[in-house]
Amino acid sequence: MPTDQESSTISLNTSKVHLNPNSHNKLNGHQRNESSNSRSYSFLDYYGAESPPQISSGSTTIKKINGLDTESESIDPSTSLDVLDLKDDTLCADGDVINNSKSLDSEHRENYIQPINMASKSEILKSNFDRYGFKKGSTLHNITMEDYNEWFNIYSDSELRQLKKWHLLMKHHGFQIEENNNEEYIPTRFPPRSDKVKKMIRKGIPSSWRGNAWFFYAGGYDKLNKNTGVYEKIVANTRGIKNKDTEVIERDLNRTFPDNIYFNSNLSNNTDLKEEPNLIKSLRRVLIAFAHYQPQIGYCQSLNFLAGLLLIFMTEERTFWMLVILTEKIIPKVHSQNLEGVHTDQGVLILCIKEYIPSLWNILGKNFDGEPLEEDKILIRLPPITLVTSSWFMSLFVGILPIETVLRIWDILWYEGSKTIFRFSLTIFKLCLDSPDFQMNSQNGSSETEQIELFQFMQSFPKKLLDSNLLIDCCFKKIGGYGFGSLSQDEINRCRSFVSKQREKINQKNKNKSLTEMTDEEKTLIGNDIHDIYGFNRSIMSGMVWNKNIRKKLSSHKKK
Amino acid sequence: MSDKSNILKKYKIVFLGDQSVGKTSLITRFMYDTFDETYAATIGIDFLSKTMYLEEGKTIRLQLWDTAGQERFRSLIPSYIRDSHVAVICYDITNKKSFLNLDKWIKDVKLERGDDVIIVLVGNKSDLANDKRQVTIEDVESLHLKIGSKFFIETSTKANHNVKLLFKKIAQSLPEFNNEGTENENNTSNNNHNNPETIDITIDKNAPNPQTLNTCC
Repeated sequence: MPTDQESSTISLNTSKVHLNPNSHNKLNGHQRNESSNSRSYSFLDYYGAESPPQISSGSTTIKKINGLDTESESIDPSTSLDVLDLKDDTLCADGDVINNSKSLDSEHRENYIQPINMASKSEILKSNFDRYGFKKGSTLHNITMEDYNEWFNIYSDSELRQLKKWHLLMKHHGFQIEENNNEEYIPTRFPPRSDKVKKMIRKGIPSSWRGNAWFFYAGGYDKLNKNTGVYEKIVANTRGIKNKDTEVIERDLNRTFPDNIYFNSNLSNNTDLKEEPNLIKSLRRVLIAFAHYQPQIGYCQSLNFLAGLLLIFMTEERTFWMLVILTEKIIPKVHSQNLEGVHTDQGVLILCIKEYIPSLWNILGKNFDGEPLEEDKILIRLPPITLVTSSWFMSLFVGILPIETVLRIWDILWYEGSKTIFRFSLTIFKLCLDSPDFQMNSQNGSSETEQIELFQFMQSFPKKLLDSNLLIDCCFKKIGGYGFGSLSQDEINRCRSFVSKQREKINQKNKNKSLTEMTDEEKTLIGNDIHDIYGFNRSIMSGMVWNKNIRKKLSSHKKK
Repeated sequence: MSDKSNILKKYKIVFLGDQSVGKTSLITRFMYDTFDETYAATIGIDFLSKTMYLEEGKTIRLQLWDTAGQERFRSLIPSYIRDSHVAVICYDITNKKSFLNLDKWIKDVKLERGDDVIIVLVGNKSDLANDKRQVTIEDVESLHLKIGSKFFIETSTKANHNVKLLFKKIAQSLPEFNNEGTENENNTSNNNHNNPETIDITIDKNAPNPQTLNTCC
């Protein structure tokens, strides 16, 4: 049962510590330093000379939150916001006396991501776990450990090159880079939005920077700034509560990342310590707090995956606000009680496929018996393939794609917004359609078999997409790729509002049979000028055809 | 019945039931004969298919649909329940609530398919029967009689108990096999949905598992 365990501290993970990478390497390359909890780090050590925090004033004035002011180097928004005013009694539910500076010392956060350098690279290659603690070659990813290592060997080199470019970018924007042998440089603020930054993000954010960068570009500081102390209060108020949501949450905690060493103590070699992992405790608090904060959502399965992955990269409080931002702004209603957002977004996705990959629509636009779907019924009865793709939207590809590929998409998602999910869904579809296996599969067989085979293929295909660079190139490149970067947020928004209006009508109609169906005019429009009615900009992408380069890449990828 | 030896007959089987009763685990045990203490929660729907060899050289292909257990996901499910031949509705024998919720799942299925679907009730986690049982065999038996399900069975995916038997019974319940006396057990299969068969499901850890009848897989 929840939350009676942590009597000693309410470990809200409000500060962040990056342990010396060498201390990881003692055990299995991924064992956390068990003694780290008791070590007395000086708060200043964590942030070094970069940002002396002003502990006395719990809410330091934040001059700039979006990194627009490169002069205010001395005030680090993350630090000042992390130093919360804990004076009141909200956190003392169990009689714990919380002393500001002391609690911060003991409530640091461990670093769960192994940074990339030559030494750690060979450690990671030897380990059974990747650098985020996930078992390599799990059945989830349909990839063997050899496959993983072969890929990682090359990928890590490109990531090192990318890291250098990021350093240059940071310097160019006037950030001081503090580097010494023991501490990896991890910025808390980032350059303002620009085409250059967007390009860099599409090429991948260095892994140990990810948490901070996602939070920064998603508008996390803004949220946090307006809600100082809110998370702590919710956690305090929801301690030990039991309701329908907490029951479901409790059952999902250990079913989130059973193949991750930080979420499953059974994976650890150390058999003496079978305590509940810290990240499970954090996950519980975040999910319960979120369910409490967003009662119209409560807890929805798949939020556990989102929160779980975020927790590897950032503190509990930040994870909480990222979930809020996601469900308020990026994919609203997708996790709501009736999953209305899932239905809407699946409708949008289907219309996107119809619009931009008509050859695939010819295959997908059928019911299970292989009969073509009536044009005006598409939104009432979504094609069976949406049974596969619904989870892409709900768990943002976690568990669908290999983890490193998910992270690359998340880099882009938190910066560019929800169009990213549609763009990558289309890319996965197109890659699938263009893959030699699929072409063989779809050539023979009755229509019914075709639908089932397709379903199965679409489900397993993404799990093998370990080559994130290939996926991203295919998505964005106009030459040698599919150019789905042209699908704009504006188009998605218009299409979303169209679909949701249609669904409203359908629901109305179900309630009140006298209301008419889609008007004849709308039916004609759907049949003929689909892009006009949904507001698609097809012309931008017309002539975007299947490119031989991709086929080559795919077959060579497959051979590996 | 015409000769079907060359045509692989396909059947859709949907797995329903509350969260974490062991739907994924049942399917995984059947498909790969493996067991993990924990599986990641299923979001939406997972699909797997397996060819099953029955007596007399008969082969069928089972398409297994694994679903998310949380209540709100039900809105995603009806469209494919519509097509399934069998609904395997699962509960956890150590969790009374998951059993009480069977009513809702059964109602969902019947709403979509009427009496046109074969319903099977499965109580999983029978390895914990001794100290944690909250649902008795009498409980499920009376429900079974009430709703007219095809049969009920208790399984343990952990101890690998009755899982193969479950699938064998399912295969025998399928329309094509109803009127062919393929059963080599005491209880005879019956093609009348209103007169469901029952099978012996007493749990005896020392006794050899009934599924050692090597009639399938």
